[in-house]
Amino acid sequence: MTDGRSAASNKGMPLVRIVPDQVPCECNVKEDADAGIRACMAHIIEALTKPLSAEEQAPKKKERGTPSRIAFQGQLEEFDRFFYKRGWGDGLPLRPPTEAAVREMLAGTDLEPSHVVGRIVPRNGKATVEKIAINAVMAGALPTHMPILIACVEALADPRAHLGAYGTSTGSWMPFWIVNGPVRDGARVNSSSGAMSPGDIANAAIGRTMGLIVKNVGGARKAIEDMGVYGNPGKYSCVAGENEEMSPWEPLHVEQGLARDDSAVTLFFPNCYSQIWQYGSDDKGILATLIYNLPPGRSGLTCLLMTPTQAKTLAQKGWTKQMIRKYVYEYGRVSAYRHPTFHDGGGWTGRSPETVAPNAMDAVAIVPSADHIRILVLGGPGAFMGLACGGGLPGGQFVTKKINLPSGWSKLVAKYKSLVPAYEKY
Amino acid sequence: MNTGGEINQRSTEYEVLSPWADADPVPLRGITPRPVDLAGKKVGLFSNRKRAAVLTLGAVERGLLQKFPTVQTSWYECSTINTPEMLTEGKAKFEAWVAGVDAVVLSVAD
Repeated sequence: MTDGRSAASNKGMPLVRIVPDQVPCECNVKEDADAGIRACMAHIIEALTKPLSAEEQAPKKKERGTPSRIAFQGQLEEFDRFFYKRGWGDGLPLRPPTEAAVREMLAGTDLEPSHVVGRIVPRNGKATVEKIAINAVMAGALPTHMPILIACVEALADPRAHLGAYGTSTGSWMPFWIVNGPVRDGARVNSSSGAMSPGDIANAAIGRTMGLIVKNVGGARKAIEDMGVYGNPGKYSCVAGENEEMSPWEPLHVEQGLARDDSAVTLFFPNCYSQIWQYGSDDKGILATLIYNLPPGRSGLTCLLMTPTQAKTLAQKGWTKQMIRKYVYEYGRVSAYRHPTFHDGGGWTGRSPETVAPNAMDAVAIVPSADHIRILVLGGPGAFMGLACGGGLPGGQFVTKKINLPSGWSKLVAKYKSLVPAYEKY
Repeated sequence: MNTGGEINQRSTEYEVLSPWADADPVPLRGITPRPVDLAGKKVGLFSNRKRAAVLTLGAVERGLLQKFPTVQTSWYECSTINTPEMLTEGKAKFEAWVAGVDAVVLSVAD
């Protein structure tokens, strides 16, 4: 009920009458729906007929005052606890966003601190450059990450990304940020072995910053607006560069319409990703791995993750990205009885009952179209493939934004280039 | 035992900036006046196309008819899931539908 109240408030109708019911979530059992509604029918009728109170007719604005730019003064531990208790953290220790640290972060952009990059739902908070920088400092990001973060915010604010749904959904969708182009080198975004594991500042801090921005700018509070059932560790950070140098194909951002020399970030929302041992090291085995492991219960945007070796094997056999997308769409099928539409004749993605196969054994496409599929060449040596499967909201897309580098980019990169781990020798 | 460095770090004062963003105020609106009685009235049932929407609204429809045999219902299905109907191509149809009913029940159906 809290999420419904919040959604109504954010649309300017805080006193919409809401009646909680006991119908199981996404119920498709008529008897359960009947019982749940029967139990609250009197309240529904009351909500439809009870005369309005004065406040319901003309709700009063709650005076909250202008938020102070300085949030806190105190010692490190006190700061961390204060921010955590305000709900401004993610459970891990934060770096204090002092004026000096934020100023240093702002060296990563030519934009004015007051420039509004986008408005982030559900609260429609203004993602100014300064707020992005503050959250970036808190997350441990570097100024070389700022150009990427600004593009990430643009992507998040793009309606085609459907943050309003994915950021608050019970499906616990995680933003998957894919970085392309020369910025990967300067910002040291890992695209090779272990790119999605902890250990690289960029891969860790960019995603973490965006998680904080979703909370602190967008206002998505856990179990109030963010109703993710299980939650998702990927919400801490899920960032990878594409291993363009080792890929035989055009990179993802070129597939998305940008020039090869551009830097870019691409966003979509899977709610997990799986790693699958390849069925064979030739093109047939690699493609079989993909088409036989597509999960039928998602039916939306899908990102195929493959190693440079797998990509080269396919390319040597003449496979282009477009051919693979088409093949995976055509042959990624399951018997109708394994597909959700067979069981409820509809589902929430807007598929009409007419699309249900008449026979339980008929083959049904898992991914809605070849255009719902993208291919990412990623990682180091190994025989595993990856599938990151997203939701299927109509009009939802992989959203790619060009990254604009600041005028002093080379100097900035030089300043931080020695910041790399030198592991203990043993 | 604390080292000198730890003591220094702990005693350092930080003045930190707020990560919480401003947001433009949203103009507030009241809710629509209610009919005193539903007898003979037309109640709109708005489906957001989630799986449980038709079932729950169907149960509401039956509950209303049981209590108010003369009530009429009018169903509306959103044109785009997860998008305010007023921002979709269905806006004109939606406005006409709303104008023709006395009250509306929307099932979140989540």
